[in-house]
Amino acid sequence: MFMIQVPRVSMLRVNTLRVLCRTGTLLQTGWSLKDRQSLSRAVTCALQCCVSTDSSSIRSLQQQFVPQDRGDKRDVRVRHLCTAQVCLTCWNCQHPLKQKPAFFCESCEVVQPPPEDTSYFSILECDCTFTLDTLKLQKKYLQLQRLLHPDNFSQKSEREQGYSESQSALVNKAYETLLKPLSRGLYMLELQGLNIEEGTDSAVNSELLMELMEINEALDAVETPQEANEIGQDTKGKLADLTEQIDTALNKGELQTAKALLTKMKYFANIEEKVKEKLSSFM
Amino acid sequence: MAGLMSGATLRKCISLLVYRGKLFSPEHSTSCSYHKKVVDHYENPRNVGSLDKNAQNVGTGLVGAPACGDVMKLQIQVDDNGKIVDAKFKTFGCGSAIASSSLATELVKGKSVDEALTIKNTDIAKELCLPPVKLHCSMLAEDAIKAALSDYRLKQDKKE
Repeated sequence: MFMIQVPRVSMLRVNTLRVLCRTGTLLQTGWSLKDRQSLSRAVTCALQCCVSTDSSSIRSLQQQFVPQDRGDKRDVRVRHLCTAQVCLTCWNCQHPLKQKPAFFCESCEVVQPPPEDTSYFSILECDCTFTLDTLKLQKKYLQLQRLLHPDNFSQKSEREQGYSESQSALVNKAYETLLKPLSRGLYMLELQGLNIEEGTDSAVNSELLMELMEINEALDAVETPQEANEIGQDTKGKLADLTEQIDTALNKGELQTAKALLTKMKYFANIEEKVKEKLSSFM
Repeated sequence: MAGLMSGATLRKCISLLVYRGKLFSPEHSTSCSYHKKVVDHYENPRNVGSLDKNAQNVGTGLVGAPACGDVMKLQIQVDDNGKIVDAKFKTFGCGSAIASSSLATELVKGKSVDEALTIKNTDIAKELCLPPVKLHCSMLAEDAIKAALSDYRLKQDKKE
């Protein structure tokens, strides 16, 4: 038997959740495969009980505890993990902040500074998935801004005004990022430590680049709003396709595939913007 | 000076600057806009157009920037002595990308194929006074030149 202590953490970052284990117990030799499987299950259970988080973070932590059966060698792939027991308290009354993220103190109801290392998904109370109910997102956004907007704090202390400004700005940023599929997808990659570098696409994507060139040139040459609309509809269709493909890739955890698809989406999103500009130039 | 201002006033000044900054498009800073050289290339681009990509003495470079979604095509026409006699470009992207590729076509004209290989993005960025956030546009233009030269080389190798 073994005990896994999962500390209560007020603030989580997907990448930085750690589990404290009794490493002495785990490094025991003679640890059977059955025991290691139990360990893996226990960790998952503990995580799911203690933390309301997304499946991808649980999966990434599970991978650290996947039992490795190397025939006779009975070793466990274990990382020496440590935990930071973060217990935030209200700056005003020192009451512990149990909610995550905590916008206001439960006890004295004073506004709190913006949380660090909290994902936009948890700020707006959404699951960390690519498909999102944007109406629900908008509702939550408006609800938060009604509480946090600096206009509500004009009679409060300077410190509270400052916190409300930062909280409001953070909620704005979170909403803008999660609203559109492209920025949402890019943010999800960022959470996994993957970014689109500032480099150049040439030989790798020559077919795609030729297609983009042709569409851009055609858009440049349109003479009627109808022609521009046609290109616009075509582009919308391509973006919808890409959204589906990105969703599949992210659900499967295929990050490199998702990254390539999001790059493609960026190019077509630019074309969609240009179509809008073209249409407004006709007015 | 800042020491004489109270914290609240200083904060309000900073937020005012930030607000004004938001009025401009992302490429603009609060105190200046695009450099006049960039504006010149954007409003009077040199060498916009296409060359016959199937011609033996034409090299075509097609590059894209994934981070910002810009697409750039640069073509060169080379004579029998290996000198670049004509260059054309088509770029779909921000003003700095358009200016960088426009300048690139001016820089390659008259150079030999080997000399054109030495053109660096820093030359382009310096000439256009590109801000740090737009340096990648000059990089894209350099890559477009290299891609065009490489395509030309490939065609010559196939011919032999």
